[in-house]
Amino acid sequence: MGFLRKIGILLGWLLLIVSTAVVTAAVKQRSQDGPNRVFAGGPLISGDLYEGLEPDWSFVNNIDTIELQLLDPEESRRIWTASIDGKLYVWSGYMNSTVGKIWKSWPAQAERDGRAIVRVAGVRYERQLIRIEKGDGLESLTSLMQEKYGSSASPASIDAGDLWMFVAGPRSVKESAK
Amino acid sequence: MKNLYLKIVAVIGITSLSVWFIPGADDGVELFFQVIVLVASS
Repeated sequence: MGFLRKIGILLGWLLLIVSTAVVTAAVKQRSQDGPNRVFAGGPLISGDLYEGLEPDWSFVNNIDTIELQLLDPEESRRIWTASIDGKLYVWSGYMNSTVGKIWKSWPAQAERDGRAIVRVAGVRYERQLIRIEKGDGLESLTSLMQEKYGSSASPASIDAGDLWMFVAGPRSVKESAK
Repeated sequence: MKNLYLKIVAVIGITSLSVWFIPGADDGVELFFQVIVLVASS
């Protein structure tokens, strides 16, 4: 019994150290220029701001992840991405799961205020995230997502609200729509 | 009991300061957490 108690106490201290270390690393990353692989980061500061014609985003299909920052709040995260017909798409899955509802706050924030900055290969692009709630016509995009990431994405999962899909268009799209 | 609380505060303080200030410590924690998440999700 004494031995088990000692093991329990040791595990308790270990858990305290690990959880403190993880929380500290996550908090520290919030003050950094961008996210790391796991924790959200602060505003994307470094890198030239792209100015010019709307790029053909198909080059992101050769990139694993991009950095995405919302303007409100000014937090950034590393996310998956894909491009179809030259347009840039980002998404968040598991939105109907309990974990997703607790953990994934950026999609709701992006729906409220879609102004965003993405940083790809050290270049920052101003974007406007617009949620797509219907999966109709996105078969080729979800197929690409399955191929690129082994994702179970489908138009049906977009319709069901389990997958929140955003097109990251130029800022002027939203402004001209007003 | 008060002694235990002091120990807990000390452990939290030392761990936080170590991760914050020792170069590369936060990267190590990030890698560790990434492995945990990968194992948990597989």
